[in-house]
Amino acid sequence: MTLADLLLTIVKIAIILGFILNFAGLSVWADRRQSALVQHRVGPNRAVVKVPSNPLRLVIAGAAVAIGAPFGFFFWNAAPGLEQARMTTGLEIAILVGWFWMLLLSNHVRKHGADNGFDELVSRVPPRNYFYGGLAAHLLVLPLVRALPPQVWATQWAPGICGTLAFVMIAGAGFYAASKLPDGKTELRLAGTLHAAADTVKAFMKEDLAPKRADLLLYSLAPIISMTTALVTVAVVPFGSSLCFKDTNLDGMLDLHELGGLANVIDASGACPANYNTVPFMIADIDMGLLFVFAIAGTGIIGAALAGWASDSKPALLGGLRATSQMVSYEVALGLAIVGMLMICGTVNLREIVEWQGQNTWGIFAQPLAFFLFFAAAVAETKRIPFDLPEGESELGAGYFIEYSGGKWLLFMVGEYAEFVFSSALIVTLFFGGYHLPFLHGDGLHIAFGDSVLYELKMSHLSVTIIHFLAFSTKTIGFVFFHLFIRWTLPRFRYDQLMKLGWTKLLPLTLVNIMVTGAVMLAIDAGGPQVSKAMDLVADITQGILALGGLLGTVAFVTYLLEPPKRQRIVVSTSAKLADAAGGVKPSRMQA
Amino acid sequence: MSTTAPDLSENKPWTKRAVRYDEPAVIPRPKRTAGVQTYIPAWAKGTGITMKAFFVNFKERLLGQKRDPVLENYDGGLTTLEYPEEKRPYPERFRGLHRLTIRDDGSMRCVACLCCSTACPAQCIHIVPGEYPEGDARRGYEKYPTEFVIDELRCIFCGFCVEACPCDAIRMDTGMHPVPYDSREQFIYRRDLMMSFTDRDGERHSDNTRHEPGDPTHPGVTRKHDKH
Ligand code: SF4
Ligand code: SF4
Repeated sequence: MTLADLLLTIVKIAIILGFILNFAGLSVWADRRQSALVQHRVGPNRAVVKVPSNPLRLVIAGAAVAIGAPFGFFFWNAAPGLEQARMTTGLEIAILVGWFWMLLLSNHVRKHGADNGFDELVSRVPPRNYFYGGLAAHLLVLPLVRALPPQVWATQWAPGICGTLAFVMIAGAGFYAASKLPDGKTELRLAGTLHAAADTVKAFMKEDLAPKRADLLLYSLAPIISMTTALVTVAVVPFGSSLCFKDTNLDGMLDLHELGGLANVIDASGACPANYNTVPFMIADIDMGLLFVFAIAGTGIIGAALAGWASDSKPALLGGLRATSQMVSYEVALGLAIVGMLMICGTVNLREIVEWQGQNTWGIFAQPLAFFLFFAAAVAETKRIPFDLPEGESELGAGYFIEYSGGKWLLFMVGEYAEFVFSSALIVTLFFGGYHLPFLHGDGLHIAFGDSVLYELKMSHLSVTIIHFLAFSTKTIGFVFFHLFIRWTLPRFRYDQLMKLGWTKLLPLTLVNIMVTGAVMLAIDAGGPQVSKAMDLVADITQGILALGGLLGTVAFVTYLLEPPKRQRIVVSTSAKLADAAGGVKPSRMQA
Repeated sequence: MSTTAPDLSENKPWTKRAVRYDEPAVIPRPKRTAGVQTYIPAWAKGTGITMKAFFVNFKERLLGQKRDPVLENYDGGLTTLEYPEEKRPYPERFRGLHRLTIRDDGSMRCVACLCCSTACPAQCIHIVPGEYPEGDARRGYEKYPTEFVIDELRCIFCGFCVEACPCDAIRMDTGMHPVPYDSREQFIYRRDLMMSFTDRDGERHSDNTRHEPGDPTHPGVTRKHDKH
């Protein structure tokens, strides 16, 4: 391992730890917020920082310029072969910023009134039309750029101008947003995330109580164990595709001075060309990947068991026992559920599993039953609703961490959420293609069914990597939200139901899944080249379905969000009459 | 369980009211179909409902389209009044915190007759009556409370004190309710604090005019001031 490797590993650890910890905090916030919004309350939103507007203006405008600057700067010297990609990227970003910003502005004007004629004009168009216009422009740019004659795009200025356009849009949006801040001071609430941050600070400042006869060593060790196991497991999850650095001195090692030599383009498989060093976007690219996850996650059981034992409290002990037996039982189903996937991919390395999914099809299509089984077992393994019996507050208070307070309690809490962000990341990695997006390969966008190519766009290595990282984060966020929806819907099972479900339903089903998978694999192998060719086509079609479904789903969702509200005024009851006479229920600032 | 409802509507003495027993509605046990047993359809449906509620509300909040929780209905959706930020207007006769009304010259109307503290079922009014100083026209004719204390934590907001007062000196029309304080001491409301309150519209006007000694409208009660 060279110094550069070490440096990169530290950077990766920082990125991924930051990712997981922030996500854990954010999912605590999302959890509260979601539960509140389901009942049309705003949720915890009291934490406020009053920031003087002028420095804040500087920060916003500065951030916009900093984000936009690379487009305006680097696009002027596009590497040969990438001009079209640069043009497309520049235009798409300009369009995205354009319509999204118009939407925000028209919403702002509706809430706070227009400041000038431009605001007036913007707010007069129904917000949906911005989105439709933007969508049409997004889709039009793709074929248009390709249709341009090479004399246009092969010049240096064409991508440069598109990049500058993106820069101007981003910076302009930042400057206009900065001008919209109120004079004097701005109240920063950040949608309530500040409240979660304040809660964290508060928890660490609280008194750290321990029961008198607790075993202090084990008592203090337990939260640390459950927190670390949740964090350590993330080491083997790939957060994006591998980076390729040029090996200038051909010694097969990554040296410090080679860090600047990121490859411009790589080939479709995502593998680095010869004479390049591969740096996978994960902390530890080890061959036992998934086994490592199970080994470490198994250690997490000790945390819960120790907490229950060392607390010297009956609810804690019962909660610890429940947690232990539940986690041990579901570990079996959890492990067996993915065996089918491992058989198909022929590896337990998570990076290779994702690469397999990228070249063939997402795991959910290859192993639909396994996904459901794995998902159910993972929810039980992270002790979440409907399987949160270890902390069943109706009978055990908070279960195994009932005796904890302050910072130690927070470690349990954040550890639980980190575990649950991790389990979302793992499900995404195993069944939803990890960082992979349909038709996006190492060398760019490549829409093809079997041998018939529909659309092709070469993209640079760096932009593909960035998109991959964003895709992985988005999928993980989506899954976290999905987890939370389940949490806010389902009632808790009974303990015997839980055990029965684990041992008599999930476990046999996982075995059936393994056998069926084996049989189908043998059949495909015996079918010869025709069958495998047909399978490739089917795989491409699933990718097409995903891409189309994702696009349509996004369009439907945004359309739904921008739908004008339907209202029905009902003034029947006396209280409604009273409220009507008073001009409706008026929101007022909370005073304490 | 099935109970046969006795039909009392016919051939009964006219004095007896006809009673109709409704057949108790028994929700039948769900059939153990594959859908019920796998739990997945019900799970999907329930999660769908949660998601719908979330996204409708999320959207309204994002776009600033939150509906009026009392007046407007959205497809029979949820209408949650976010209490501290949104307040339902109180009815006109809402009994809120007490206030002590004042005369035109700014002194209190209360004459320390102790009617209110006598009427109070919670015994939470404490009054110490005092004489007006020598030379005051009201000396020997009226008293005034040197101390007027209401323990708002004990008060049951029955309004008897307001009914009992002969001078329209105590009212509960402030439109405020006790704020959740963090110590009992803060619920002890004293004279000057209660005198500073206005009615819910910020006014102090009263239709019951006072007739001060010396006014032409005064009934003319005179009393010797030497013996009292
Ligand atoms: S409202 Fe009722 S309980 Fe309260 S002070 Fe008046 S008489 Fe007493
Ligand atoms: S408030 Fe009214 S009832 Fe109570 S002591 Fe004063 S004058 Fe009498």
